[in-house]
Amino acid sequence: MKHLIYSIILVVIGALVGIYLPWYAMGVAFGLVAFVLNMPLKSSFLTGFLAGFVLWVVSALWLDIQHPSTLPSRMAQVFPLKGNVFALFVLTGVLGGLFSGIWTWAGARLRQK
Amino acid sequence: MKIIKSAFPLVIALFLTYAMNQSWGTIPPIGKLFSPFHGFWMNAESPESGEPTEETLQIAGLHQPVQVVYDEMGVPHVFAQDDHDLFLAQGYLTAKDRLWQMEFQTHFAGGRISEIVGEKGIASDQFQRRMGSVYGAEKSFEGMKEDVASKTALEAYSAGVNAYIGSLSDRELPLEYKLLNYRPEPWTPIKSALFLKNMSFVLASGTDDLKMTNILRKYGREVAEDLFPNYPFQESPIIPVGSPVDFKPVPIPAAPADFTGLGSSMSTPEKDPNIGSNNWAVSGNKTVSGLPILANDPHLTLSLPSIWYQMQLVAPGVNVYGSTMPGTPNVIIGFNKNVAWGVTNVGSDVLDWYQVKFKDASKQEYWHDGKWKKTTMRIETFKIKGKKDMVDTIFFTHHGPVVYLSHEKPFRSNIPVGHALRWIAHEKSQELTTFYQLNRAKNYEDYKKALTFYSAPAQNFVFASNEGDIALWVNGKFPLKSKLQGKYLLDGTDAAADWQGFIPQAHNPHVKNPVRGFVSSANQFSTDPSYPYYLGWQYAPSERGRRINERLAVMEKITMDSLRGLQNDNFNIRARELLPLLFAQVKSPNAAQSKAIAALKSWNLVNSPESVGATIFENWVVTLQNCLWDDEFSADEKVPMSRPSMDRTIQMIKSEPTARWWDDTKTPAKESMSDIVMKSLRANVDTLVKQHGPQGPEWAWYKHKQTGVRHLIPGMDALSRLNIPIGGGGTIVNASTTKTGPSWRLVVELSKEGKPRAYGVYPGGQSGNPGSSHYDDLIDTWAKGELKPLLYLESPDQKSNRLRKKITLSK
Repeated sequence: MKHLIYSIILVVIGALVGIYLPWYAMGVAFGLVAFVLNMPLKSSFLTGFLAGFVLWVVSALWLDIQHPSTLPSRMAQVFPLKGNVFALFVLTGVLGGLFSGIWTWAGARLRQK
Repeated sequence: MKIIKSAFPLVIALFLTYAMNQSWGTIPPIGKLFSPFHGFWMNAESPESGEPTEETLQIAGLHQPVQVVYDEMGVPHVFAQDDHDLFLAQGYLTAKDRLWQMEFQTHFAGGRISEIVGEKGIASDQFQRRMGSVYGAEKSFEGMKEDVASKTALEAYSAGVNAYIGSLSDRELPLEYKLLNYRPEPWTPIKSALFLKNMSFVLASGTDDLKMTNILRKYGREVAEDLFPNYPFQESPIIPVGSPVDFKPVPIPAAPADFTGLGSSMSTPEKDPNIGSNNWAVSGNKTVSGLPILANDPHLTLSLPSIWYQMQLVAPGVNVYGSTMPGTPNVIIGFNKNVAWGVTNVGSDVLDWYQVKFKDASKQEYWHDGKWKKTTMRIETFKIKGKKDMVDTIFFTHHGPVVYLSHEKPFRSNIPVGHALRWIAHEKSQELTTFYQLNRAKNYEDYKKALTFYSAPAQNFVFASNEGDIALWVNGKFPLKSKLQGKYLLDGTDAAADWQGFIPQAHNPHVKNPVRGFVSSANQFSTDPSYPYYLGWQYAPSERGRRINERLAVMEKITMDSLRGLQNDNFNIRARELLPLLFAQVKSPNAAQSKAIAALKSWNLVNSPESVGATIFENWVVTLQNCLWDDEFSADEKVPMSRPSMDRTIQMIKSEPTARWWDDTKTPAKESMSDIVMKSLRANVDTLVKQHGPQGPEWAWYKHKQTGVRHLIPGMDALSRLNIPIGGGGTIVNASTTKTGPSWRLVVELSKEGKPRAYGVYPGGQSGNPGSSHYDDLIDTWAKGELKPLLYLESPDQKSNRLRKKITLSK
């Protein structure tokens, strides 16, 4: 349950940072949050991953619903996904998750002197 | 130690961030690109629907507010209070839809692609600059600035583009910037000049001089002139034979002494681009309405984003609609209340090569006209992504740049080494003035005056007015040459071989209101040999021109729709002539060959998309040319040679059945014409079976031809439209080939009341954004051979159910 609350905090912060700052600010922010809240090291990567995955997939979905276009299927060919839009969403989530997870883990680890 | 351990994940995180923010070879920066707050997800645009939307945008530098209304195709109709605001808005709005393309194309033209793609762009960049593209643009820019209207247009256009660039945050960048990971730089007026000069590169940089000299050296002048005649066997020239000449020719310079040159050796063979165009205008006595109708379809490399961008530009003194070229002000092909005009390319020889004799390895001096003369040098610096800058020196003689020194390897096989380039694209010029004045032209006199400012690339300017005039000027700056001067490489030491001035513009071939009731051009010979000046020896094959002229001669009660039909005409006039000749030579075919011959015999001679006959015929032409000429004319790839034209081959089949060329010199036996025809039929059927399996629907012409509209980034298939079901072909009026085709089709009917009606389409869409519904929404209409009605508005408040969006640009 605690992990979930952490993840929700990260999602909210990630969205705010994403709107106003460069894309990588999200990672730095997650690291800071993990450091400040002294997140448990063991679950830190997963907490961050979950937050990043959800944030990026939901935001991408939201944009796609707001602006339906052929862009996702084109991008799913630019990247070798055979035009599979579902795979493109998953890839988006995995990239967001990986990036967030590592930063959250790094923040948490830094706290454990 | 402990600290190192706790910081270790941070190091990984930092490294990951760096890695995901960076391009790796062709892999884009995946973090930045996939982030839904910054990357490609933000580039999706939903199609407009429902009530028209209204918005206001602040743009610095405007004198007065500018009203812009967009129609359902995404065409902006721009209403400004003066020229300055009109061009500022044109720059701004074009950039809004096409910024990446504008910048990419001018980077290409200026030899700066390696700044974006790194080392692999260097050879192309160096070639562009060695050919003098930047030098030519600078010269041309000087000329443009001398005309106040052009200067205003260029500066305001530039300010408009920059206003748009200035308004863009990183996350709003066009998709391609995100994929290739760079940012737009400020636009400058010289970029417009670079773009225009690049049209000379596209249309007037073909050069066979080296290949012809190699032939001259191997076979001698008699054979070269016999197989590469200076006027085709069959032709229907642009200026009707017997048209009156209304000028007194100036004296023609004496021919320089015969020169055989060094020839040259090279590696990679290359294919000539299949580009050309059609245009025509029919007079009112042939039309239902009683007023002229004009049609134009320029054939260029089919690309996405499209080379054309439609606009209506309205300000005091002008209300013009047509296609613009992103990167330059004005409408290039279009119409206004009173007149319409269009262009096709002129295949005149405006590019020559002079063999240079340097004094020594320092290349400071060269021999010309009996003395040593100084070369000038131009230093070009190439910024290369991920590498150190490269500095390159270009040596110039008075002719022009020495494109490749004797020891260098040229970028293209038709470029000779150790030769200086004399090229019309290096002249100071004022093309913008021509388009500015055409946009505002009211009658034939205005059109005629506008053309006097035009240099290159030379175009067949077709014209029609609501006063009932139709006309065509073969127009551009043409060097005054002795006959055949520049067919072969020239002697750079001989002053008599220099260009001796230019043909007076008023003497350019032209025709107004001819008796036959129409004017037309399809890149064929400008005139018959009675024209007093020498323009060139080689033009596009005559088939399209002959077909258009034979149709227009018999068409009566012409409407816009019947001319749309002619633009889409797929009839194969070459097959009509050649097939009976080939059938007569076919001896004892096998089963597969008989089946192919049967398909050809029942073929209606139309290159329709589904036609199997068209595939067999077109491929047969290729294999016939290979079987007949490959032994003598491309034996050694280090000595590139031109190949006799199909026109010459047909003439040979008809009247020289025992010519020495029929024998395949690679075999000990002596082949007859019939043997070669059979050999080519075998090769034809074998390759088609190999490519598509046994003869059947898979042999459909469109499947074999594979017309595609490709994104400007090579290999970017995901952003391209491939395998489009369209008929036609290179020598067909509907000139759609694998990579080239009608890049814009326009049909305009003029009206006495100043209410012209027009239809048009191009294979692309108004938006350059692959995430927009307007990215490629016109391609299907184009492929079907249909046109869209073009909306010609009188005022921004005019009611129309086709309007979707209104933008006010205010200062």
